[in-house]
Amino acid sequence: MVSYSKAKILVIDDEDALRGAVKRILEREGFSVVTAENGARGISLGTTDEFDLALIDLKMPDYSGLDVLREIRKHKPNTVCFIATAYASYETAVEATKMGADGYILKPFTPEELLNHLNSGFKKRVLILEAEALKNEREARLLEIAFERTRLNTVIKSLADGVLVVNTDGEVVYYNNAALKYLNLQDIVIGRPILEELPREIQDLIFANFTSEITEKKSFSVEVEIKPKHELVVEATLSPVLRQSGKLSGVVIVIKNISEFKKVEHLKSQFVSMVAHELKAPVAATLGFINIILNKEMNLSREQEVDFLSRSRVRLGSLLNMVNDLLDISRIEMKTVMREIKKLDMNQIISDTLGMFTADIKKKDLTVIFEPKENMPEVRADHGEISRLVTNLVSNAIKYNKQSGRVEITCCQQKNYAVLEISDTGIGLRKEEQEKLWGEFYRAKNEFTKDITGTGLGMPIVKRIVDAYSGKIEVESKYTEGTRFKVYLPYNLTDDELNN
Amino acid sequence: METKKKILIADDDPDILAQTKLLLEERGFDVIPAESAASALKLFEANDIYAAALDLIMEEMDSGFTLSYKIKKTEKGKKIPVVILTSATYLTGFKFDATTKEEKSWLKCDAILNKPVDVEDLLMKIEEYYSGTL
Ligand SMILES: Nc1ncnc2c1ncn2[C@@H]1O[C@H](COP(=O)(O)OP(=O)(O)OP(=O)(O)O)[C@@H](O)[C@H]1O
Ligand SMILES: [Mg+2]
Repeated sequence: MVSYSKAKILVIDDEDALRGAVKRILEREGFSVVTAENGARGISLGTTDEFDLALIDLKMPDYSGLDVLREIRKHKPNTVCFIATAYASYETAVEATKMGADGYILKPFTPEELLNHLNSGFKKRVLILEAEALKNEREARLLEIAFERTRLNTVIKSLADGVLVVNTDGEVVYYNNAALKYLNLQDIVIGRPILEELPREIQDLIFANFTSEITEKKSFSVEVEIKPKHELVVEATLSPVLRQSGKLSGVVIVIKNISEFKKVEHLKSQFVSMVAHELKAPVAATLGFINIILNKEMNLSREQEVDFLSRSRVRLGSLLNMVNDLLDISRIEMKTVMREIKKLDMNQIISDTLGMFTADIKKKDLTVIFEPKENMPEVRADHGEISRLVTNLVSNAIKYNKQSGRVEITCCQQKNYAVLEISDTGIGLRKEEQEKLWGEFYRAKNEFTKDITGTGLGMPIVKRIVDAYSGKIEVESKYTEGTRFKVYLPYNLTDDELNN
Repeated sequence: METKKKILIADDDPDILAQTKLLLEERGFDVIPAESAASALKLFEANDIYAAALDLIMEEMDSGFTLSYKIKKTEKGKKIPVVILTSATYLTGFKFDATTKEEKSWLKCDAILNKPVDVEDLLMKIEEYYSGTL
């Protein structure tokens, strides 16, 4: 705020004696006085500095007091100006007032006359300044409100969720683009009725719950399938907007895209029923055998009984494997595997794995080629997981190989990756089989795989382990000729990445 | 001596196949086992079949339906009961059923039984078919 204690005044007069006298009088009264000896100087001071008051002589050699007045008013409209002149004429007085002079002081004047004029002028100046300050403040506040509004607007517009506000006549009051998208509408026009275009479920909710008798601020939600097959599923939450009087004035509809969530949910339940189905098969087979063995009427021979019991045992064994694999999958999935990250010697892991399969390799008369590379950098990973990965790939290369076939394994460094390659000369995979390979329980069904047992969980486990280490796996295969898997495991993973 | 009636059974689980075969033979039937939909179709064509029991999920999720459709398209197939065996309610979350006439005509089979299947139930369905009460 301006301090009014000391008025600042500019005195413009070419008469030295008068300037001096006025200065003395005013300073005695507590004014702060600046003087100018001609019009030019007066203009330059009066247009640059901030003065409360200006006393301008009408007749000066260089400028007319009216010109000085005009200039000062132009730049400093809040400075209260007085014209002082010896020969007053009505015309000049009128002209001066037109140009914004606040008063007219006749020369010669007594100190009292001068002070009277100036004091009332100063009061006016104070009022002007206060009004100005108020105006500025109000403008600032208006600006702020406007700003607040656009900001809120921006916030709502940029919300990921859709927002649609409808009044009690069913007309659109407000919406954002996400609402357009999630309701799959071409266009929404403010002020137009919209209810008919909304999904049935939302309409029903509105009609059932948002009547004029509403008193509570209660929200209602409904799930709506906008596009079929989980392509677009939204959750709409409807809340009433109440007036101060408590009467309903409209409904705010917030629309959330829950498609991804729904997809995952669907995949999960699909997985559960798939697991149940897969678990049921060995249980049903075993139960069937037991029932037959216990059935007196069947009159089984001892050999038949032994055959059925050992078949049951095979099924139960595979059931146990399946359960173990499933537990592995869920552990990797839930990231609860307590990874013990250590530097691993890939060559050692491969040799150890091959050692486990000696009997199978011999039975199939396979040639296994593996030449450990010297100076392989160590991979930082969990020993159990990497062994499981290698074991699953080697097991398949052997299982799906032909009699007297070959298995070739290499492991080398390529830039930031340890690359493990396992190729076989086995039955191979058709194109469509390659695509389904990573799905749980998938097992290629063709003339060669008929007598090979397995659960179809090996590859999904491999895939999950590779993913857990931010690696990748590629498959190349020719049906009836052979298959090659290539696993890339990145070096340089940080501890955080390793423990995700 | 009267020749035994032949029942065609298709199931890709060899253990289940062996069990059903044994149980039906015990009841005096001749059983023709098939481990795939393709071989089942061939065996159906080559034999004089009295009834067929087909597993729904073999190579594909709906192998049983396709197979029963193919069987029912033949003159021979129209005269015998075809029963689909299923434990599947999954993937579609859709429960299979064949109780109304419309469903039966659409599904192209005469009955659907849940697995594991009880031979008594299967034989009952076959009997109902021939007595016209199915
Ligand atoms: N090296 C390979 N050559 C040919 N087919 C393969 C090979 N590896 C995998 N497959 C095919 O992919 C399917 C899935 O393999 P996966 O390892 O997941 O299951 P599985 O070997 O059948 O059972 P298990 O869970 O016991 O490993 C196999 O059934 C087989 O059809
Ligand atoms: Mg495997």
